[in-house]
Amino acid sequence: MKNATRCCLLAALLITIPFANAGESGTTIKADELKAEPFRDAKTVGQLAAGDKLEIMNKDGGWLQVKSARGNGWVRMLNIRKGKARNSSAGTEMSGLAGLASGRAGTGRVVATTGIRGLNEEELKAARFNESELKLAESYLTSRTDAQKFARKGKLMARKMGYLPDPGETR
Amino acid sequence: MRRLTAKLLLGLGMTLCVAAARGFDLGQELRNAASELQKPGKSSALGGYSEEEEVAIGRQIAGSLLGAAPLVKDKQLQKYVNNVGRWVASQSERPDLAWHFGVIESNDINAFAAPGGYIFVTKGLYKLLNDESELAGVLAHEVGHVIRKHHLKILQQSRMVDLGGKLLARQAGGNDKIQNLIGSGAEIVSRSLDKNAEFEADRIAVVLAARAGYEAFGLPQVLQEIGHTGSNDSSVALLFKTHPHPDERLARLGDEMDSRFDGLKGQTLAGRLYRIK
Repeated sequence: MKNATRCCLLAALLITIPFANAGESGTTIKADELKAEPFRDAKTVGQLAAGDKLEIMNKDGGWLQVKSARGNGWVRMLNIRKGKARNSSAGTEMSGLAGLASGRAGTGRVVATTGIRGLNEEELKAARFNESELKLAESYLTSRTDAQKFARKGKLMARKMGYLPDPGETR
Repeated sequence: MRRLTAKLLLGLGMTLCVAAARGFDLGQELRNAASELQKPGKSSALGGYSEEEEVAIGRQIAGSLLGAAPLVKDKQLQKYVNNVGRWVASQSERPDLAWHFGVIESNDINAFAAPGGYIFVTKGLYKLLNDESELAGVLAHEVGHVIRKHHLKILQQSRMVDLGGKLLARQAGGNDKIQNLIGSGAEIVSRSLDKNAEFEADRIAVVLAARAGYEAFGLPQVLQEIGHTGSNDSSVALLFKTHPHPDERLARLGDEMDSRFDGLKGQTLAGRLYRIK
């Protein structure tokens, strides 16, 4: 019996689609509580401070399961930035959020230099209206009914939800 | 009423200048425009434009954008994006607009919306996506711009289009007159919208994705991905120039979404995401 349970667990693990970004590093951008489970009222198991480094293990909706020096648990995805915090090796001084984001400048993505069309303002300005390409784009129209069928195939269930209130203008 | 008349006169005056420069039958067009304006409620509900006019303006912008970057020649991909986009747009207050979506040949990371429901994503952005809910989130952000008429509003502010648009919308296809009103080429899509228009489109996007049955965090995930592309990487130059930084957008979304989306399960459909060869 014990063995059977273990087998089932193993099977479940194998079936589970692996989380694409598991093992990726992240940084806390805002102090937040570590929770035992991925919801607000779950037990608090630790406290993260802004700037804490962590490892991302899993994801559930708006929550990430993380490992950190302050403990393991679930934290709100939107309080975490993926990637390492900037180390002050290159370029202009940046601080806070912007600094975190640009920390990986130059790493990761390769900018190709040949045969690729950039979309800068000059090119957009110089663009000539392309009627045949537009007609081609319009030919791919999906009707509302076909969209519903497509949704049904993906088990997408429409549900009601109000828009979020505007918290007010920012500077 | 007096203000309306003054506005109308001013409008007619400016149209006169535009029209004179273009040289078409001014008298007739002005009479038509005036009678259009007198029809109660015809265009006021759409921020000054009828749907027909809005689509005519959007077509011109979309056709010019495609002149700069054509569609990726992959019918299955384009059809797939239209399926996802139309389903998301069906959850908005304009479900019956003829929504068009497309992936365009560019390695930049960006997405564009034009009035009337024309929405394009670059191949560069598409390739960053991990699942269908992320695509839904990106398209939903652009749908947000269309339903709140963000681009139409800047056109209205920057140029004399309210009467001009009425005079010109009737002609289909590439239209020099509309082109003159929206600026050169597809320049308008490279103009920055008000920062708050971007935040508004983000707020709309997570809700439309959730309404459509998707995992609501698709867009935030894409923003996180884009956020750690270096800001001096040329593929995001235009995006970063015309939008608030992804981190600022994420911070806002975090506050706005708060715990409203906790426990709301949705589909991510990673297996159904169409992969570009």
